[in-house]
Amino acid sequence: MTISKNGEICLALLVAVLFILPCLMLGLIYEEAPYHTVAGEPVREAADAAGISVADVEGTLWNMAGATGGKTYTLTDPEGDTAYIATQAFDSAESRDAAVRLYNAHAPGKGKQVGSMIVVGQYIVYATPVNSPIFAKLVPALQQAAKATT
Amino acid sequence: MSEAPIANKKVLGLFALAMINVAAVLSIRNFPSMAVYGWSCIGWYVLGAIVFLIPISLAGAELATGWPEGGGVYAWVKQAFGEKGGFVALFCEWSNNLVWFPTVLSFTASTLAFALTPDLAANPWFMFAVMMIVFWGTTAIAYFGEETSTKFSNIGVILGSIVPSLLIIGLGLWWLGSGQKIVIPHFTLAQTVPTINLSTLPFFATIVLLFAGMEMAGFHALETKNPQRDFPRAMALSAVIIVICTVLATLAIAIVIPASQLNLASGVMQAIQYFFDAAGIAWLVGPMALLITLGGVVNLAAWLIGPAKGLGIVAEEGNMPPLFDKTNKYGAPVAVLLIQALIGSVISLLYVFLPSVNQAYWILSAMTVELLCIVYILVFAALIKLRYSKPDTPRPFKIPGGMIGVWIVGGLGLFGTVLSFIVGLMPPMYFTNWIVYVGSVLLGTFLLAVPPLIFLKFKHPGWLKKQNGGEQP
Repeated sequence: MTISKNGEICLALLVAVLFILPCLMLGLIYEEAPYHTVAGEPVREAADAAGISVADVEGTLWNMAGATGGKTYTLTDPEGDTAYIATQAFDSAESRDAAVRLYNAHAPGKGKQVGSMIVVGQYIVYATPVNSPIFAKLVPALQQAAKATT
Repeated sequence: MSEAPIANKKVLGLFALAMINVAAVLSIRNFPSMAVYGWSCIGWYVLGAIVFLIPISLAGAELATGWPEGGGVYAWVKQAFGEKGGFVALFCEWSNNLVWFPTVLSFTASTLAFALTPDLAANPWFMFAVMMIVFWGTTAIAYFGEETSTKFSNIGVILGSIVPSLLIIGLGLWWLGSGQKIVIPHFTLAQTVPTINLSTLPFFATIVLLFAGMEMAGFHALETKNPQRDFPRAMALSAVIIVICTVLATLAIAIVIPASQLNLASGVMQAIQYFFDAAGIAWLVGPMALLITLGGVVNLAAWLIGPAKGLGIVAEEGNMPPLFDKTNKYGAPVAVLLIQALIGSVISLLYVFLPSVNQAYWILSAMTVELLCIVYILVFAALIKLRYSKPDTPRPFKIPGGMIGVWIVGGLGLFGTVLSFIVGLMPPMYFTNWIVYVGSVLLGTFLLAVPPLIFLKFKHPGWLKKQNGGEQP
């Protein structure tokens, strides 16, 4: 094998590494939400703590493997914003993560996903609109709730 | 070294070209996400058409007829900004795919699981196995060249995208005609106006890139029978099919399925099941899942083959090491296809088996958005620049209105894509450390866009093929 051939292979490897690097970095630096049971109604409790009103709440069961039920909240804040936040509990880490993959897989076209989603213990918490200020107020409390029961 | 290739066979006509674009852009998986917006989805679609779909269709038609050589965006941007610009544009189009492939692959796998037994979607081994079979199977189809992949694409897009769309539209019409309850408020013009504020601004980038892929036919110029005649017509035909199917099928879902059912819970198949149950044809859910799976595969194939062909041409011109310049007797860029499949497989593996990767995938989605925006910014800028730098190059299709027309079309496209690039950098409101977010997205985008500059830095004459006047290494 010539030096030039080795150089080519090095370049090809470098390109491959450049591609895989962002994914690996993400895997290493992003804190995975472990699967565990969070008691109570984390969204309602977070909303109460943040002074956000629950205008409506409905029970929902998503048509997904492992989904065990949740609630859809309509929330309003004193600034007049409205957000729709849905929670759904899953019976295992695998089924919860499958729901996360489904969320990623349904990003329209080649754009970003619709709505915002976080994982809190056994729950997926999904909010629309995508950049809801109400959801922004709830997330710290939700993350705190998740940690408190870990 | 390449096998003796079959000279580029001119196998593509108007219909095949149009179907390449339709395969790349029309996707059933978009419909439920958009149906959440009710009547205002019309306004969002109109916005996407004005600032992207119409400009990219017109720009693609003019550039493809003016420079009907292979390479698509590479050939166009190279004419305006030189080799470096063209290579960066093409590479960004190719590299964003590698990050995006796991999502479309997991879509096909989860849709197939729905047809078999939905529990399988929660089994990472099933998901990964199906994703790999689809990915390598599509790569194998690309291996057999343009004629085979065109036949697959034509049949696949009709069965997997157009037929399901028409079925959904037909059911929507039947729903209206049979006097069933419409779950969104009665139509008024005011309801079609989308709400644009800080909360919804990130959605702008999604809407613009909803129609990404309209330039895909340009990668197949060398195999086109009459590019100057067929490209503009194919652009128009594909745009009409995409708009009709997308808008009407989205509205059909919006009028039947309550918005509360159309959130994360509504993967396409969940929405279809709700729809078909309501229409009393639940037995059709399984066959529909199979068709939509095929649609996902064809969508993947369009993005997998086009940019890879472009990269093959870049390698052929001596801008990449000969390792990348391997074509087989069918004219397929086998080395690029193989490297693409290997990298895509590793990323898919991480995606399925590392929960931290799929939970944070929205950061990678943001990189996809940024990379695609770079491609389109360069294409629209090239459209405008070439009217000044090469005004006498014959363009069988010219954007009407002279320079003003070009500035309006190119300007709207630039506005849409530059704004998308900016909003693509906006972190979610709940993300407290925006510097980390913006830094991560920009760093990832840079890493995925920089290889052309590395290749050009190390480029030497030995990379050119003998027949092009270079030396064989």
